[in-house]
Amino acid sequence: MRSSVKGRGNVAATADDTAQHTHASPPPRGRRRLGPVAMVISFFGEMLITAGVVLGLFVVYSLWWTNVVADRAADRQADKVRDSWAQEPEGAGRDAPAVYDSKNGIGFLHVPTMSDDDILVEKGTSMKVLNDGVAGYYTDPVKATLPTSGKKGNFSLAAHRDGHGAKFHGIHKIKKGDPIVFETKDTWFVYKVYGILPETSKYNVGVLGKVPEESGREKAGHYITLTTCTPIYTSKYRYVVWGELVRKEKVDENRTPPEELR
Amino acid sequence: MGLVPWYDGRDGMYSWIWRHLPGNGWVRALISLVLITVVVYVLFQYVFPWAEPLLPFNDVTVDNQ
Repeated sequence: MRSSVKGRGNVAATADDTAQHTHASPPPRGRRRLGPVAMVISFFGEMLITAGVVLGLFVVYSLWWTNVVADRAADRQADKVRDSWAQEPEGAGRDAPAVYDSKNGIGFLHVPTMSDDDILVEKGTSMKVLNDGVAGYYTDPVKATLPTSGKKGNFSLAAHRDGHGAKFHGIHKIKKGDPIVFETKDTWFVYKVYGILPETSKYNVGVLGKVPEESGREKAGHYITLTTCTPIYTSKYRYVVWGELVRKEKVDENRTPPEELR
Repeated sequence: MGLVPWYDGRDGMYSWIWRHLPGNGWVRALISLVLITVVVYVLFQYVFPWAEPLLPFNDVTVDNQ
C-alpha cells in the first residue's frame, strides 16, 4: 500500500498546519480506505470531472483559439497578397490567376452585410486551406469558374461558420439584393444576391453547378455561390447564398472601392 | 486494489499527484499551475487539432461523399 508515513504527513501539513504540531505521532485518520464499490464510483467520478473539463476546453479551443490562430494566418497571407499586388508591374499578366501563387490567394471577398472583414480567397476547400481563416473556391466536386477567367460559370466558395476565423459566421444576415464584391488586383467584381437557400443537404452538389438551377436561374451567367454550414455551431446542413455579376469596375490608383462598399 | 496503480482507494489521482509534488503548499500550487499549463498546451496544440476533423462540427462544404 502506498500510505507511507511521509505521504500522510504531507497531507496533514497542507490540510492544517497547526494540527501537525499538536498531534504529530498518530497520523490523522481523515482518509479512510473506501470499499470497492465506493472506490469504483469515486474513480469514475473523477474521470467524469476530467472529461467535463476537457470538453469545456475543447469548446474554448473551437470557438476562440482557432479564431485567434486563423485570423493571424489570414492576416499574414492577406498582407502577402497586398504586397505582391503593390509590387507587380502594372499590366503584367493581369486578370490571369496564374500569376498569383495559388497558395497566397487570388483576391478578397467583401460582403458588407455579413462582416466588415475583407475575406481572402484561396484555392481549394480542404480543411487545411479553410482553417487559415480564408474562403476557398471549390476545385472538387464541381470546379469553380474564376471571375478572372471571364468565362460564364459559377464562382463557388466555402468558409467556416464558426471557429477558424468564422469568416461566413454572419451569412444569415445577407438578404436578397445585397452586394457581394470580389476584389482582385485590377478589378472589382460586383455581384448582387438573388437567391438564398437557408438549409440544404450536404450532398446537394447541384448548388455549385455552372448554372445553379435550384436558385431559379436557367441560363449560363456569371454567378457566385457562398456555402457554409448551418445551423450555427453544427454541420448538419449547408447554407447557400447565390449572387449574379452586376458589373465590373477597374481598380484605380487609390483602390477606391465601388459604391456598394462605401 | 484499485483500478490503476495510483488508485489505492484513499483518494483520487489528483490528490495522489498533489501528495507526490515536492515542497510546501505554495510550491506545489505553482508546480500544479505549470502542470495544468502543460496539459492545456498539449491539448490545444496536438490533441484538439487531431480530434477536430474526426468530429462533425466543422464541415462547411457540399460534396458527394
